[in-house]
Amino acid sequence: MTVGLPSSSVFTGKSVGLEGFWLEARRPDGASLDLKPESVTNGRRLTVPSGCQATLIEKSESQRSDPYTTQLRWEFILTEGATLNHYKLVHEGPQAAHHSFVEVDVQKAASFQSHVFLFEGAQIRNTIHVRLSGEDADCLLEGLYVGSGSRVIENHTLVDHQKPRGTSRQLYKGILDGQSRGLFDGLVVVQREAQKTDAVQTNRNLLLSTEAKAVSNPELKILANDVKCKHGSTIGQIDAAQLFYMRSRGVPQAEARRLLVYAFASEMIEQVEVPALREILFPCLNLATSIRK
Amino acid sequence: MLEIINLEASVGEKQILRGITLKVNKGEVHAIMGPNGSGKSTLANVLAGREGYTVTGGSVSFEGKGLLDLAPEDRAARGIFLAFQYPVEIPGVSNSYFMKTALNAIRKHNGQPELDAIDFLKVIKEKARGVEIPEPMLSRGVNEGFSGGEKKRNEILQMAILEPRLCLLDETDSGLDIDALQIVAKGINALRSPERAFIVVTHYQRLLNYVQPDFVHVLSGGRIVKSGGKELALELEKKGYGWLPATEAPAGPPRSSGGEQEKAVAR
Repeated sequence: MTVGLPSSSVFTGKSVGLEGFWLEARRPDGASLDLKPESVTNGRRLTVPSGCQATLIEKSESQRSDPYTTQLRWEFILTEGATLNHYKLVHEGPQAAHHSFVEVDVQKAASFQSHVFLFEGAQIRNTIHVRLSGEDADCLLEGLYVGSGSRVIENHTLVDHQKPRGTSRQLYKGILDGQSRGLFDGLVVVQREAQKTDAVQTNRNLLLSTEAKAVSNPELKILANDVKCKHGSTIGQIDAAQLFYMRSRGVPQAEARRLLVYAFASEMIEQVEVPALREILFPCLNLATSIRK
Repeated sequence: MLEIINLEASVGEKQILRGITLKVNKGEVHAIMGPNGSGKSTLANVLAGREGYTVTGGSVSFEGKGLLDLAPEDRAARGIFLAFQYPVEIPGVSNSYFMKTALNAIRKHNGQPELDAIDFLKVIKEKARGVEIPEPMLSRGVNEGFSGGEKKRNEILQMAILEPRLCLLDETDSGLDIDALQIVAKGINALRSPERAFIVVTHYQRLLNYVQPDFVHVLSGGRIVKSGGKELALELEKKGYGWLPATEAPAGPPRSSGGEQEKAVAR
């Protein structure tokens, strides 16, 4: 398979534009909706009207080799019954810092989904704060982060369940090679009023070198008494039994390792509902997991 | 084809194989039997090149060339195949993609052209029918969620696709009901040929009712203590292992079973 940097000029038919994002929205009846974010201090605010569905794809890509910083700040407001799918792809230059802060207000029966893919950059900080401020609201936070060289990646998530019957799902997966550092720092708060909350928080890390480091800090703070909450984290290496199994069938060691890393990460991409984006993400993953040294 | 001379091997500090000598010619089926902890699985794993097993003495040559210095994938390319006692699950890598990758890696190593997706599909579909593996299982993750019997059938399927010259079957019959055993045995028998040899490691005689061996060897305390024809297996079934010539008790703490040792290494 040929592997190359996904070209910035081709977003497979979808123009990302100078602002680095692409937005599409539909009304409840399926008709197209002309939705635009508004500028606020230090960032943008996007309000998704009641019952409408929106997809926001954000891509930070650069081939600049000098040090620079990208600062992104979003505020999402999902009014009653609204849905927002937020996809974020970070493919910055080798010396770049990328700081992203996303604050979300999910109102009654609204649904927020976040899919974050952190591939390149020297220092990446991804912060997402979600407030489930209405009843029956839900959110899904997924992230894939890939570290190599001396990259430092931080993920900070906060899900604040404020009202009854909210659902939250979090799955963050890290692949760390070289001397890279990966952090998952997640907090789920269930307020006293938020009965029947259903929350799951998972972080899984795959260390590919002895010098790479993963720190996982999933936390639950539960003030209600009738809730279902679960959290867990794993930090592991390539499974020796799986590796031997593949090699005993004739698959060379480096290829077997690559396949196992790919398998660990690919489920995160398979869940992306935008085919054009999947077509970019798979080569990114290929590139990120290709054999170094 | 395979010549094992005075092979000694250890797992960690424990000496498991204490001088195995065995010659296997092409076309032959050798059964290795013996009580738990006798070194049967260790022998199979050492031949396949598993990490965690240290060869401490002796030699193994395969088709005239030394085997022990080769990486597992190079042994596979030369034509050695191990059907695992506990096949691992590999979620995220589809069964058919895995087999195609393996087959093409071996073909490439041997200077043969690689099969494209369409040609490979023909091969895998035909071979899967032979071991009664339905097509949907081919697109699932390798062994993912397969039952014990399905995993063993999948091992035989891989063997049929890779067409090895020497097949090592490590307790392939363990945990199989009679129907699954018959399917597995049929798959093995279909692969028997004058050019291919088998080493069948088994605790029980049961599989040997279906896959008739040319030779039976009994392993005990890391040595072959008795060899004979297929009638030896029947005798063992009747009398157990207790009547065999005693081997001196190994020094050190008692050994756990071969299965447990393997699992400990796999972790």
